[in-house]
Amino acid sequence: MSSTKITIHDLPKENLFTGGHTACPGCGAAILVRNAMKVFGKNTVIYTPANCLLVFGGTYPNISWKVPYHHVAFENTAVCSAGIKRALKASGKDDALVVGFAGDGGTADIGMQALSGAAERNEDILYIMYDNEAYMNTGIQRSGSTPYGAWTTTTPAGKVIKGKERFKKDVPQIMIAHNVPYVATASIAYPTDLLTKLEKAKNMKGFRYLQVYSTCPTGWRVPPEKTVEVAKKAVETGMWTLYEYENGKMTINVKPKLDENGNLAVPVRDYLKMQGRFRHMTDAQIETLQKWVNEKWKRDLALEKALQ
Amino acid sequence: MPERRLVSGNYAAAYGALRANVKFIAAFPITPQTFIVEHISEFVNDGIMKAEFMRVESEHSAISATVSAEATGVRSFTATASQGLALMHEILAIPAPLRLPIVMPVVNRTVAAPIGIWAEYNDVMPQRDLGWMMMFVEDNQEVFDMIIQGYRIAEDKRVLLPFMPNLDAFILSHTYEPVEFADQDDIDDFLPEYKAEHAHLWPDDPMAIGVFSPPEYIQEYRYQTEQAMEASKKVIKEVNDEFAKEFGRDYHGLVEEFMTDDAEAIMITLGTVTSTARKVVMDMRKEGKKVGLVKLRFLRPFPKEELRKIAEKVDAIGVYDRSISYSAGGPAFVEVRNALYGMEKPVIGYLAGLGGRDVMYSDIKLMFEKTLEAAGKGKADKEVVWVGTRGVNP
Amino acid sequence: MYEVRFHGRGGQGAVMAAQALADAAFIEGNYAVAFPFFGAERRGAPVLAFARVDKGKIYEKTQVYEPDYVVVLDDKLPLMVDVTKGLKDTGMAIINTSLKPEEVELGRAVKTATVDATGVALEVLGTPITNSAILGAFAKATGVVSIESIKKGIMDIFGARIGERLAEKNARAAEVAYERTSVGICKGTLIYPEEKKWLPTAQEFPTGGALGLEVKTDAGLIGLGSFVENKTGSWRTFMPVADNSKCVNCKLCWFYCPEGAIEMLMNLPESEIPAGTGTDPKGNPKGIKIDYDYCKGCGICANECPTKAITMER
Ligand SMILES: Cc1ncc(C[n+]2csc(CCOP(=O)(O)OP(=O)(O)O)c2C)c(N)n1
Ligand code: SF4
Repeated sequence: MSSTKITIHDLPKENLFTGGHTACPGCGAAILVRNAMKVFGKNTVIYTPANCLLVFGGTYPNISWKVPYHHVAFENTAVCSAGIKRALKASGKDDALVVGFAGDGGTADIGMQALSGAAERNEDILYIMYDNEAYMNTGIQRSGSTPYGAWTTTTPAGKVIKGKERFKKDVPQIMIAHNVPYVATASIAYPTDLLTKLEKAKNMKGFRYLQVYSTCPTGWRVPPEKTVEVAKKAVETGMWTLYEYENGKMTINVKPKLDENGNLAVPVRDYLKMQGRFRHMTDAQIETLQKWVNEKWKRDLALEKALQ
Repeated sequence: MPERRLVSGNYAAAYGALRANVKFIAAFPITPQTFIVEHISEFVNDGIMKAEFMRVESEHSAISATVSAEATGVRSFTATASQGLALMHEILAIPAPLRLPIVMPVVNRTVAAPIGIWAEYNDVMPQRDLGWMMMFVEDNQEVFDMIIQGYRIAEDKRVLLPFMPNLDAFILSHTYEPVEFADQDDIDDFLPEYKAEHAHLWPDDPMAIGVFSPPEYIQEYRYQTEQAMEASKKVIKEVNDEFAKEFGRDYHGLVEEFMTDDAEAIMITLGTVTSTARKVVMDMRKEGKKVGLVKLRFLRPFPKEELRKIAEKVDAIGVYDRSISYSAGGPAFVEVRNALYGMEKPVIGYLAGLGGRDVMYSDIKLMFEKTLEAAGKGKADKEVVWVGTRGVNP
Repeated sequence: MYEVRFHGRGGQGAVMAAQALADAAFIEGNYAVAFPFFGAERRGAPVLAFARVDKGKIYEKTQVYEPDYVVVLDDKLPLMVDVTKGLKDTGMAIINTSLKPEEVELGRAVKTATVDATGVALEVLGTPITNSAILGAFAKATGVVSIESIKKGIMDIFGARIGERLAEKNARAAEVAYERTSVGICKGTLIYPEEKKWLPTAQEFPTGGALGLEVKTDAGLIGLGSFVENKTGSWRTFMPVADNSKCVNCKLCWFYCPEGAIEMLMNLPESEIPAGTGTDPKGNPKGIKIDYDYCKGCGICANECPTKAITMER
């Protein structure tokens, strides 16, 4: 695979996901989708399950997408996208790119079965999970992708239990375990890394999975102007690692700053304090999360080394 | 020359998909439908079926992929039974309002609890309100023919609704019977290639299909779907007649009447029970009993006008059901009685064969006799009669 | 019976205000209901909430079409929607604004109460959330519910959601607003464009609802790419302003704008480039043009601009 870097300056002017959509001000998912469409171009078919994007990207009869666009249900993004792709193939339109754009709930939780099936069959689709770390469309409920400690309406900061008690589900690693051609993590705050991965994924064949960290100012209790800043801090603190797995090899693309002992230099506290969803966390909880991040970082490094 | 072979109902369904030039299949195995999936696998792997075949990981995914493939603009097929149909329920609601002419044979099998694998209609009956055309076949020839006719009806511009032929578990799915397969050229003439105009997902002519919709629009979708379902009645008859002319087999459209002239009592039946019932009618006629039979082929669209016309002629009507809507009676009974509203004729619902219990000749005969008795008395002793249930007097 | 319609934006708490009012009326021995307009609006988009109050049980389960009172949480909303629509001639509009009632412009000259609820909220709560303060104004202007009950209603409804301490502050905001409310008659000078909506009959409705690209109708575009009809600029409270002389054409704001409301001058035809525009080292015109029709005012551009060429203004 070529590793040509795609930067902001390579993007065309035209939006295939237009303004007028109804995402909250500062929505990270909207940033992702609009720019991804610039990479994909017109020869693309989009599937979206039930989620914020379904609603803000189109409410009958007005739609932001300028390419074929389809929705069936919440939990079947991977298989519906694959159905479209196979049908295009059957009608001699195999050159079109089919992209499924799902949230973390539609991916890590209810959509996991269809996702796993499609990945195992190596369906020729690009699956993008925009990770806003909760079910936002229904008003901020926990998902498997919600981080430890986070407040959501189903993990409230109660008198006895404060926030989510379990850690974030590692979906990219689950996808790697399916032995698919391409798995990558990305972030809206790292445009070149993101665009390069989108371009690469676009041009590959077989099942490609991209998980993109997408700030949700509404659900995370973050001022909308901080959307990108928070996303950067996630990478700097190790809460989100940018890597890619391509034909059996894993590469960490952006390495966070480390201290002299090789530990993550920026404490997660710096990330947490930017967001209302973590406001209630106790020192002990923060310590637990810091430990998890440290271990996750070490594991990511070890994996990178092992998968060379 | 048409080819005649001894095949199972499952084979007839799979071969129907092949002969209908289906371009896309997604399916998941479940007893007693499994052989459909296996036969299609053989056709595809032997290269005699040129279609994309997704061996998906569940029925939910099978119907999802089929809906999306049909929305993309290609002729699509799936098949299921029982638990699989129940698992599909959410997605079964999608193709009718989006006007996607999928054909999906269902091998009717009991839905748990208790878990079982034999014939019952409690899988299909809960799906009645989702906008699928639903019909019940009587033998394996009809299975094959109704896959071909199914696409013709479903893809008609006046209809554009999904089509579900139902065949009884084992009684058809696993039973070998002679079936005639028309020549491919003749089938191709009868069923031309599908041209998606109203809905397709092509980048060179993009469309949005399945958009999130506020209340300002959904009621019009519903009305449109209802109009299409009503319009299908005429199309079903047209296609039936053209098929009869072309291939020599007349199924009489929505309902088939059998010896109903001058009948005092009739039974309305679904599925394979119809076949045995024909024999019962012939025998009872020989005894001088004025009974007749109505094969309710289509449950959706519901042949209300036809049934009312038939009911005019007779004094009592019995309806056979292979499933129960608890405290309301069998679904076909409830619907027939509703259609005959105001006619003041006794209508009796008979429940038999639930969970796949064999519906015997004597069971059916009993239904006719009881209906005849009601015809004589001008009223029924019981509204709903359980036949062949231990400890329960019919 | 009296009926109240609340106008707010997603996230401003119009629904909570309706609930707190209903609770207050309930405390006074009435039967009361509060309900949202069941929409899928996200933060910032105009939303509605309703309350109905009567002595005995209320049977109506319909939306409110002819309210006795309309309550407007955001003084920019009347510019976008006719808040007096359906308001009874005997009714009243209660509006958050720093203007006097006589200075307020609405679609119809109606009895109007005003209060600077934003000012009160900033003063008492430290944030511009006006859903409690406006209820104080409602109590004062209408007299149909006492301020004591309003405060109790706020304690009940807000307390359950945001805790007792913050609820107390909100009750205090209502009290302050109560004192600062004035009533008069507004000007009926605003003219609204005729609302155009594509409403096909069942017969005209496209088969299966499928829509193509940028389909033209009498009510504007529909279908793929037609969301451009939805001018989300009206959601904005803060407005980005660019100083193009500081721009270095890094394109970050152009990339990050969730709406695609920023265009690089270099992408525009020469005729649209303002005179005196500087050029970058590559000779491209420097700077951006912001499409205020769509900008929701999120402020990411200003936050991310490396040269601080963009500032957010009220
Ligand atoms: C089968 C089913 N269950 C529940 C829902 C309700 N629902 C719609 S969107 C959604 C959450 C979506 O969350 P996510 O996938 O994380 O996307 P987000 O809204 O956060 O963008 C839920 C629970 C549904 N549409 N279908
Ligand atoms: S709730 Fe979050 S993800 Fe959904 S539109 Fe708003 S900002 Fe975007």
